[in-house]
Amino acid sequence: MRNPFVRYLIQKISWYILAFFVAVSLNFILPRLIPGNPVSVIVNQMATGGVQSDVLERLYSTYMKEFGLDKPLYIQYFNYLRNIFRWNLGTSFMLYPGKVKDLIGRALPWTISLQVPAILSGWIIGNLLGAFSAYKGGKFDSVAFTLSLVFSNIPYYCLAIVFLYLLAVRFGLFPVGGGYSFGIVPTLSLKFIADAIYHYILPYLSMVLVAIGGQAIGMREMSLYELTSDYVNYAKNLGVRDERIIRYVFRNAMLPQITGLAISFGTMMGGALVTESVFSYPGVGSLLFTAIRQSDYPLIQGCTLIITIAVLTANFLVEIAYGFIDPRIRAVQLGER
Amino acid sequence: MGNLLTAVNLRAYYRTVQGEEIKAVDDVSLEVREGEVLGIAGESGCGKSTLASVLAFTVTPPLYVVGGEVKANGTNILTLDRETLRREIKGKYISIVPQGAMNSLNPTARIKNFVIDVLKEHFPEMSKEEAIQRAKERFSALSLPPRILDAYPHQLSGGMKQRTVTVISTLLNPKVLIADEPTSALDVSSQKIVIKLLVELLRMQIIKSIVFITHELPLLRHFADRIAVMYAGRIVEVGPMENIIFEPLHPYSKLLMSSVLVPEPGMKSKRIEAIPGVPPNLKNPPSGCRFHPRCPSYAKEFCDTSIPPFVKVGPDHMVSCFLYGGKDE
Repeated sequence: MRNPFVRYLIQKISWYILAFFVAVSLNFILPRLIPGNPVSVIVNQMATGGVQSDVLERLYSTYMKEFGLDKPLYIQYFNYLRNIFRWNLGTSFMLYPGKVKDLIGRALPWTISLQVPAILSGWIIGNLLGAFSAYKGGKFDSVAFTLSLVFSNIPYYCLAIVFLYLLAVRFGLFPVGGGYSFGIVPTLSLKFIADAIYHYILPYLSMVLVAIGGQAIGMREMSLYELTSDYVNYAKNLGVRDERIIRYVFRNAMLPQITGLAISFGTMMGGALVTESVFSYPGVGSLLFTAIRQSDYPLIQGCTLIITIAVLTANFLVEIAYGFIDPRIRAVQLGER
Repeated sequence: MGNLLTAVNLRAYYRTVQGEEIKAVDDVSLEVREGEVLGIAGESGCGKSTLASVLAFTVTPPLYVVGGEVKANGTNILTLDRETLRREIKGKYISIVPQGAMNSLNPTARIKNFVIDVLKEHFPEMSKEEAIQRAKERFSALSLPPRILDAYPHQLSGGMKQRTVTVISTLLNPKVLIADEPTSALDVSSQKIVIKLLVELLRMQIIKSIVFITHELPLLRHFADRIAVMYAGRIVEVGPMENIIFEPLHPYSKLLMSSVLVPEPGMKSKRIEAIPGVPPNLKNPPSGCRFHPRCPSYAKEFCDTSIPPFVKVGPDHMVSCFLYGGKDE
C-alpha cells in the first residue's frame, strides 16, 4: 500500500512545480514590458564622448548579439528556461561583464542578515505581546494595542524615512546609509562587525517595529477569540489552572501566525526593496531597484527568481509544518476525509 | 439523605455597558438532594442556564451574583476565593456538562492529553500512565471504547463527543453534576444514550446527583425525580416529577405542558396550545407575579402588585400562585 502522506507530498510538489513555471514565465515577460531598449541606453551612455555613428551601430549590434536580444522572443524564452535549469543566470547589462550569480551572491548575505533577525524577533516579540495583552486586558492591553495599531499601519518606508531624518540626519546618532563605512574592508574583523552593526540598527528598527505591531494585532485577535471558546471555559470549569489553559490557547492561536511568518520570509527580498533603498543598504533589494531602473533584464530575472524560490519554498514548508501542528489538517493530508 | 447544594435567595444579574441590569436569576431558592435527578425546565431566556452557571461557579462578567448564597456542606461557596474554588470545588464537588459540548474539547490535543491535565491538576503526584489507566477503566466501565483517549476531537461523532465530555466531567467523582441542555444538539437516539449514561453514572454512585437543565419537559419524564419550572428568572413551581408532568398547578406549568406533544394515549384528541404573548424582557420584569400579563387565569387584582409566595400544595410540591392561596383574604 502506498503511503498516503507520500501521495499528498507528490501532489503538492506537482502543484508547486506548476506554480514555479508560471512565476518564472512572468519573470521573463514583465521586465520586457518596461518601455525602452536597455541596449540603446548602454550605447547612448558610451556615445557621450562623440563617437562616430557607425561605431555606435556596431556597438549596438554586438551588444544585442551578446545578450541574445536579436533573437525572436520565443527563442529568448527557451534559452532563458534552459539557462535556469543549468543555474546560469546570465550577465548583467549595466554591470557588464559582471555575472548575475555573483552580483546576487554578494548582495544576498546582506539582505538575509538584515531581514531574518528582523522578521524572527519581530514575530516572536509580536506574538508574545499580542497573547499577553489579550490575556491581561485592561490598561496594558489598551496601550499595547494602540501602539501596535499605530506601528503596523505606518508604511514601513515612512518609518524608515522618519528614522533616517530624525536619528541620522538631524541628531547624527546613526549613519545615514550603507552597510558599512567607506574605507573599511568587509572582513570578519571586530572593527568591521562593530561598524556593520552600527549601520544595521536603523534599518532593523524600522522593520522590526512594524513587524511587532502587525504580529501583535493578529495574535491578540486570535487569542481573544480562543480565550472565549468553549474548550477554555470547559477546562476552567474542571479546575484546570490558567497557566495550562494559556498554553492551549497560545498553541491554537499560533496556527494562523505561522502562515504570517512564512509569508514574511517569502516576501523578504521584495520587502527589502524599499528599506534597502532608503538606507542604501547593499542587499538584493537595492540591486533589484537599480536593475529595474536600468531595464537590466538578466539581473531583474535573477532577483525575481530568487524571490520566487523563496516564496514557494516558504509556502511549501508551512503547508507541511501545518500538518504536524494541527491534527485536523493532518487528517486532510492523510486523506482521512 | 442531606442536601448537596442549597441555593438561598439567589440573585444573579447581567450588567450591560449602558449600566442596565438584566435580572436573569431573581430570588431563587432551591436545594439539590443527594441521589436525585433535579430537572430545571423553562423556555429560552428564563434564566435556567444562568442559574446553572451560578450553581457551577462559572460566573464571569457581565454576569454578577448580587445576592443570596449557595451552600455546600454548610459553607457558602460563593465567598470562597478563586484558587480554593478551583482546587477544591470545580470538577471535584460540582462539575458541569456544558451546553456547547461539541466545541468543549481542545481541537489540537488528543483526548488523553486533556484527561491527563485534568487529573494531574487535582492529583499532582499522579503519573501520566496512572491517569491514562484511570481514564481507561472509567471509559470501559461506562461502555465507551477506551481507544477514544487516543483520538482527536474531530475524529469523534457528535454523540460520542457528548458522552466523552460527560465521562471527563465525572472523572473526579463530583457530588453534583450540572448538565446544561446536554442533549439539545443531538438526534433522538444519541439523546437517549447520553441520558442512559447520566443515569448509569448516578446508579454507579460515581456522582451523587444531577441537575438537568432543559427546555424539553418530556425528556425529564424518563429520569427526573423532581422538576423545577422557571419563568422570567424565578422558580414558579417545584415538585415531584409525576405531579409537574401530569398535574401541573401553576398556570405557566400547565401551558408549558400542554404546549408539548407527548405520545401518550388520549393525546391525539388533545389540542396543542401555544402560550400567548412573548417572554418578558428581564431588564424590566413585570411587577407582582411575572407571569400575570400572559396568564389565562389571571383573576386576582393583586396579581400585578404583589409577588405570590410559595404555597405548599402537596407533599414536597410548592407553587407560587395566588390561585392556591398565599394572600390573606
